[in-house]
Amino acid sequence: MIPQKFEYSAPKSLDEALALLARGAKPLAGGMSLIPMMKLRLAAPEHLVDLRRLRGLDDIRESGRGLEIGAIATHYDVENSPLIRQKCPLLAETAGAIGDVQVRNMGTIGGSVAHADPSADYPAALQALEARFVLKGAKGERTVSAADFFLDAFTTALETGEIVREILVPSDDARTGTSYKKVAQPASGFAIVGVAARVRQKEGKFSFVRIGITGLGNSAYRAVACERALEGRPATPAAIESAAALAAQGIDANSDLHASADYRRHLAAVHTARALATALSRIV
Amino acid sequence: MKVSGSYSLPVGPERAYRLLQDPGELARAMPGCESLEQIGPDEYRLRLKVILATLTGSFEGSVRIADPTPPLSFRLMVEGSGRIGFLKGQGVLHLAAAHPSTEVEGTEVSYDGEVEVGGTLAAVGQRLVDGASKMMIKRFFEKLSQNVRESRASLP
Repeated sequence: MIPQKFEYSAPKSLDEALALLARGAKPLAGGMSLIPMMKLRLAAPEHLVDLRRLRGLDDIRESGRGLEIGAIATHYDVENSPLIRQKCPLLAETAGAIGDVQVRNMGTIGGSVAHADPSADYPAALQALEARFVLKGAKGERTVSAADFFLDAFTTALETGEIVREILVPSDDARTGTSYKKVAQPASGFAIVGVAARVRQKEGKFSFVRIGITGLGNSAYRAVACERALEGRPATPAAIESAAALAAQGIDANSDLHASADYRRHLAAVHTARALATALSRIV
Repeated sequence: MKVSGSYSLPVGPERAYRLLQDPGELARAMPGCESLEQIGPDEYRLRLKVILATLTGSFEGSVRIADPTPPLSFRLMVEGSGRIGFLKGQGVLHLAAAHPSTEVEGTEVSYDGEVEVGGTLAAVGQRLVDGASKMMIKRFFEKLSQNVRESRASLP
């Protein structure tokens, strides 16, 4: 279908874009969620501000703060950036698991996190990475942690007129093993459940465990009970198995025609165990 | 699709029961509610504007209350349709004193019901219906509690 009539701006400077957004325009990044909704006329924004021509907004670089990923870097960019593959392989692996190649070529990391779909892949990895989000609006800039950014289904800490400018993730060394495991909905590629694990070990024991889970409830979360059950314990299959049972603890899981809430909880436990085992095996 | 859950309100069951049947209070707490007017003894006309992520849609419909057993329970039936689809839901709300052994006033409201969604909304949004309805119900109860606290604070 053809969308309703709308105005379109493609500014070259961030200030210009922010001024338009402050007046009520809607930001467009990769358009992988927004455009289909507009075509179905489920969304009818009056004015779109295309962010893809903003210079420097797709940069990926390393600084003292870790890796800085510009908001309009595409999933393909994140998947294939040599820097991310080397220093933050969990994020590259997760990007490569999103949708299909067409979506990965167009969709952006900033657009995905700002949309905050409950079944999106990135939020699992970003929770496990304890990522931070640099948000920018006409009034200024602020940095928000992943824990404070994802509030509910399609609801983030972003205020009207603000955009995600960049995403900060730690640069890990080879002593950190990571893995992302997902059960994809076959038609859309969205995660029915997706688990990101990030682990370190010392003398045969887990010294550091971070687990991020998406697809279960209204927003991705850190499986803190599971992390606590593992840190300081021997890095054995038995320990992983018993801790993974805590993956969905305290989470109000959703049901849909693809998977019931109970099945989602089951998948979360199974894939947490698999993600942990793979992450452990990848420690160099 | 089944929905269920429970929330607490910072007032006793009698007051909570009246609150949950007061069109003015409900309209103020319901996310996206544009109007709620009484059209019969237990029937109201509802206009709702849903804004969820990129999705925006207006619904017009009715809300009916049946089997009233104050202050313990009542049945709620909601029906609405709009350009992007229709929704239909019904459920029973149970009210119970939250802290029966203490002096603190509070009511535990639990609900159990079913929601049906159709049209374009269901065709593309099926996987989101559960999460979205939970979020709307949560926002409703949070706003209702907040309104109660504010009106109490403004008393002389």
